[in-house]
Amino acid sequence: MFNKKYITLAAVLFAVPAFSADVQITGTVQSKCSIFTDIQGVYGSPLPNTLSTAPEDGGVDPVFRIDVAKAGYYIAKVTTPTEFTSSPALTDSVTWTGSVSISEVSDAGMSAYETSKVEYETTTEYDLAIAGTTWFKASSKAEYGVDKSLPAGSYRSAVTVECVAK
Amino acid sequence: MLKYFAMLLFPLSCAAHEQTPTYPELKYSYVEGLSFTTINVFNRRDDVKYFAIQVFDEEWKKIDFGGVSRVVFIDYLDKKDIDIYIKDQDRGRIKYVCTKSKLLKEDVKFQAVSSRICSKIK
Repeated sequence: MFNKKYITLAAVLFAVPAFSADVQITGTVQSKCSIFTDIQGVYGSPLPNTLSTAPEDGGVDPVFRIDVAKAGYYIAKVTTPTEFTSSPALTDSVTWTGSVSISEVSDAGMSAYETSKVEYETTTEYDLAIAGTTWFKASSKAEYGVDKSLPAGSYRSAVTVECVAK
Repeated sequence: MLKYFAMLLFPLSCAAHEQTPTYPELKYSYVEGLSFTTINVFNRRDDVKYFAIQVFDEEWKKIDFGGVSRVVFIDYLDKKDIDIYIKDQDRGRIKYVCTKSKLLKEDVKFQAVSSRICSKIK
């Protein structure tokens, strides 16, 4: 009787507690295509009627990059400017030219993007078939009227970069 | 290799615009005759605070939609869920839901980069 009581007491005192815990699984769905702006462009003015982002014209080409986490899901579209977002009042037409090229890649296979790109009007399309990072460089040139000087002031425009799901 | 190392060292030095999901789903709304979908936009562009919502069909023609606003304010490093409502009759037409960064005139110092991300309705 005495033993039974002590055995029960010992069992209560030294019982190993049983813990149960839920092991959580958490996850976050992140964007599979991200557009990063690395370098803002700057217009140089090599001639009185010309603005250009080309380094030889005193400008800076805008550089941006697109990160693709999963291959084959997105198309990149880059459109060079066809108008100023802000400028002094202009009385004549502006002729726009622009181009887009790949400046750096994180995967050697992405070098094929340049040969398979599709160009129409002022837009260049790239099929982002490989996961990783691609750096793009856009150049823009604006020529004003015929033998006319651009009015003094600041000129701004925008390159549009798109990630479109396939 | 060096490039990846640089990316690891300076992950916050760039500005990005992100949108999920890649393929949003159209659901029927509790309001009769309306369907809706939700997209999430993450603003990592310190030069942008406003994003325009755009809805297109397969031919990239605009489709009318409803929501809190056509242009939404998303602060730097902030995320926002955006509900987009369309008429049930447009359910078969809607193909792309896009957000486009809107730059304030005074914020554009040089030649800016405007970003647009489009999710596809499947």
